[in-house]
Amino acid sequence: MAGPTVPKVSRGNPMYILAQQLVNGLILGSIYGLIAIGYTMVYGIIGMINFAHGEIYMISAYLFTIFLALVAVFGLTSLPVALLITLVATIILTGVYGFSVERIAYRPLRGSTRLAPLISAIGMSLVLQNYVQLAQGARDQALPPLYQGVLRFGSAAEFVQITHIQLIIIVVTVVSMAALTYLINYTELGRACRATQQDRTMANLLGINTDRTISLVFVIGASMAAVAGVLITFNFGSFNYFIGFVAGIKAFTAAVLGGIGSLPGAMLGGIILGLSESLFAGLVNTDYKDVFAFALLVAVLIFRPTGLLGKPEVEKI
Amino acid sequence: MNLALALKDSAVAALVSVALFIPIVGMVLDGRSLDFQIVRALVIVGGVFVGRLLISLLVQSRAGRLVNWALRPFTGLGARLTATIESRLLFFLLGAAGMLILLPFLPFTTNYLIQIVSLTLIYVLLGMGLNIVVGLAGLLDLGYVAFYAMGAYSYALLAKHLNLDFWTAIPIAGMLAALSGCVLGFPVLRMHGDYLAIVTLGFGEIIRILLVNLIDFTGGPNGISAPRPTLFGLVFSRRPEADETTFHDFFHIDYSASHRYIFVYLVILVLTCLAIWIFTRLREMPIGRAWEALREDEVACKALGINHLTTKLSAFTLGATFGGVGGALFGAMEGFLNPSSFTFIESAIILSIVVLGGMGSVTGVILAAVGITLLPELFREFEQFRMLVFGLAMVFVMIWRPTGLLRLRRKSFARIAHADR
Amino acid sequence: MKRSLSFVVLVAVFVFGLVVVQQSGVANAQDIKIGVAGPITGPYAKFGEQLTRGANAAAEAINKRGGIKGHKVVIVPGDDACDPKQARAVANRMVNDKVYAVAGHFCSSSTIPASEVYDEANILQITPASTNPLVTERGLPAVFRTCGRDDQQGSVAAEYIARELKGKRVAVIHDKDTYGQGLADAMKSALNKNFAIKEVLYEGVTRGDKDFNSLVTKMKGLNVDVIYFGGLHTEAGLIRRQAMEQGLNAEFLSGDGIVSDEFANIAGPSAVGVLMTFGADPTKSMAAKQIVEQFRAGGYEPEGYTLYSYATIQVIADALEATNVTRDGEKLAEYLKSHAFNTVMGKKEFDEKGDLKVSDYVVYRWFRDGGKITYKQITNL
Repeated sequence: MAGPTVPKVSRGNPMYILAQQLVNGLILGSIYGLIAIGYTMVYGIIGMINFAHGEIYMISAYLFTIFLALVAVFGLTSLPVALLITLVATIILTGVYGFSVERIAYRPLRGSTRLAPLISAIGMSLVLQNYVQLAQGARDQALPPLYQGVLRFGSAAEFVQITHIQLIIIVVTVVSMAALTYLINYTELGRACRATQQDRTMANLLGINTDRTISLVFVIGASMAAVAGVLITFNFGSFNYFIGFVAGIKAFTAAVLGGIGSLPGAMLGGIILGLSESLFAGLVNTDYKDVFAFALLVAVLIFRPTGLLGKPEVEKI
Repeated sequence: MNLALALKDSAVAALVSVALFIPIVGMVLDGRSLDFQIVRALVIVGGVFVGRLLISLLVQSRAGRLVNWALRPFTGLGARLTATIESRLLFFLLGAAGMLILLPFLPFTTNYLIQIVSLTLIYVLLGMGLNIVVGLAGLLDLGYVAFYAMGAYSYALLAKHLNLDFWTAIPIAGMLAALSGCVLGFPVLRMHGDYLAIVTLGFGEIIRILLVNLIDFTGGPNGISAPRPTLFGLVFSRRPEADETTFHDFFHIDYSASHRYIFVYLVILVLTCLAIWIFTRLREMPIGRAWEALREDEVACKALGINHLTTKLSAFTLGATFGGVGGALFGAMEGFLNPSSFTFIESAIILSIVVLGGMGSVTGVILAAVGITLLPELFREFEQFRMLVFGLAMVFVMIWRPTGLLRLRRKSFARIAHADR
Repeated sequence: MKRSLSFVVLVAVFVFGLVVVQQSGVANAQDIKIGVAGPITGPYAKFGEQLTRGANAAAEAINKRGGIKGHKVVIVPGDDACDPKQARAVANRMVNDKVYAVAGHFCSSSTIPASEVYDEANILQITPASTNPLVTERGLPAVFRTCGRDDQQGSVAAEYIARELKGKRVAVIHDKDTYGQGLADAMKSALNKNFAIKEVLYEGVTRGDKDFNSLVTKMKGLNVDVIYFGGLHTEAGLIRRQAMEQGLNAEFLSGDGIVSDEFANIAGPSAVGVLMTFGADPTKSMAAKQIVEQFRAGGYEPEGYTLYSYATIQVIADALEATNVTRDGEKLAEYLKSHAFNTVMGKKEFDEKGDLKVSDYVVYRWFRDGGKITYKQITNL
């Protein structure tokens, strides 16, 4: 026999496969975008990279699973009610985490050099990671598939599919992006935020409680991380104390790609990142998808040094 | 003294900590069920309440003011050093380093101690390198580990594929890292601040992923053996190859693994001292002043005719060279490399050495490097808590001294520098 | 005030550290210290638990009947988190602690770099779990293992794919780790050579990734009928779960890296039907019966590598007993190679390289047993 040969069996319809890869990319992109929105929001207001954001997201995954188990302990069997209670509790408690992190690690550093809060944030992210590892153990946690609704387009043999949860992820990303954009642009809180961003001293003089505004921004950012944590945990069903790091870096990349500080930019950046990773993994090679994603980032930044939707820097003399 | 206010304040703190600790600490996930450990969570909550109460009472009392006053020398914004004074201090610094030469020959010294001190010295070397980029030139680099990895892997791969020995491989590793610093420097010249930070971070990740993926070339996640260093052709090995002469045979002494550790330690010590000296010289030279000027005001520099392209590039290149040499030394010390030594957290640690130590300062960076390598080792026995404590220390040092342990001031523009806030 | 506070906190932290270091106890100098190294923390901590549970139980049993030549056996645990760099550090600490021998490590990628340190210090190392051929192929005199090798495991898997599953379109996935890739490569070459089947896809995934949907879609596009995965349970569970979600019902076969109930936890109901290769069930043998019952009485199911670790400590203890408690690794190795050992897993003999003379890989299948998903042996030797 002349060496091993690949048997000729019909391959799946390439159009369906390509469509499925696009859907995969869209979902992954929405996931990145969802985390990036919280990132970019905090950055937009106080101009600081919140390295602990990924860790907040990780904590929300734990909180969500713990509350689900707790609800089960109390004998609540109706899934929608249980989910609703759990979701609300997770968002509130994750918000408390966001608030506390800001109080402990960032507020004392307000007004100092630009790098001090960055180092403090890196320290905080180490603290949160190891705190969860100590409290909950290092093992991988799993959430069994609770709900497996799925939409399939095509025939029984060949189809493009998206699960309901994945659909919810995409919808929630778009809705929260829109809601936050509205919040920043058209509400009183939003005006306070923008004033704080432009000139903190002046905002203070005008009667805006900037400390409270910044705290609120952190709580909102953390709540966004909680929404992301809940949905993503629901989708993948597995997490550990280390997921915040990778998620944080990817979200950071997405935020910068879209122009850091811009909410639509964060979503756009996330989707571009997700699509490029998915398509590269699907069409070329899984091993190098991350290299491709980062190379794309560098390439975009060379031609647009402030990201796709970021405001161009004006050099003041 | 307002007890009611203190009580209210502590009650709020306790309430927040109930929300923080009861779910995460008090309920441990065990598969699909929960393992309730409410007591330990309540202990923490109680601790927060009592601690907060004591603090707020103390703050209001006379004793508290007294304590605050007594701690004043430690709680200021940090000692300031001018570059000139530090250059003079250098004499003492190098003298102290001279004392370190004796370390391996002291009776209580173990291999373990030598390795830790070697690692500290490597961090000092890396700190000097990043100090050029971040401290002097003000370019925020979150991917410094890329150059460190370049140096380490160049050393191992050059020896493996081209059979180069320790002494040839180290300078080449430094040069290759410098080249990569230069290559990275070009595209990022237009970027500022956080955009620069993410691109360098991305570069660091790209290098790490390449190291993981190029399995045939770099050994992938399994790592690669770095060659043992040699001394004039003498190898440090228990079982030499046929054509090699071992160090212990040549000097007719018994084989001991510590010979190699001591040798590598001495090489690292000499090169680190050299790096410190080069750094202090660079800082005084026109190029060093150009870096600092560029950090303060890029537009003004351009107006004054400083070529900001070459100035930035030189900072990147020189910083990368230090990183590359540090990496090669790390390879020689460990004898084994794998990509997990070169993750983002390593960049973060080196950056925190520079920021905690005080940007641009030498003494501060040395102090910070010692602290940062010794702290986790101090907690070795207490394995699980060591990274937690490490992170906490980072946060609190930053709050305690937001500008680093020792701040560098140039005599000439000390007066017009930004006022302390 | 903020500054004084943070200063006080810092000082407290340091003092606390110093106190802890002062208090950390030192074992009695008369005791015989045996190191047990593995992933005690990290995502693979379950495997570390298997090793330490087995070793501690064995040490306890030995001490109960009087120790080794009257000396008490003390287990010194070392945590490498399956990270080669930490493995190296742990190995250096073991040498510093003057252990007599080391049972470990778990991951091949940790065992290999650590073995160089042990070799330099001339300490006997027996790994209960590292199956990569390179562990014993590098000519180090005092490295042994009480488990099989991946080339043996891979050819058992290849045979099962070709004969039983009648696999035509096989996808080979690995996690780029020494163990995972080594196993996948061994299986692949056996499949290519012995059965003339060429894989349709060969790719590596990254440990710690969560989203494998693109890979699954790609496999779907290639009409894969068997997925072979070389790696550990976390990634295996996620790939299996996402494959089932996308309706890719290919057979899923993996190696001994998924022998932990964590796999079923992560994969959920889709774990049912997954195949894996592992040594013939050690808990079933006559020699193990009593010890297995002891474990179960203590509330621990001795799954995976627990008994392998138990057997490793038995071998080390026997060798130390016979050589009059020497620290010399090469002397111990000489004894190991020339004698047979009665262990909890039956009689074991080592060959010149340090491998077991007889390998016993069989195929297991995960199935639903009441409310729990567990595995059972489905082929015989």
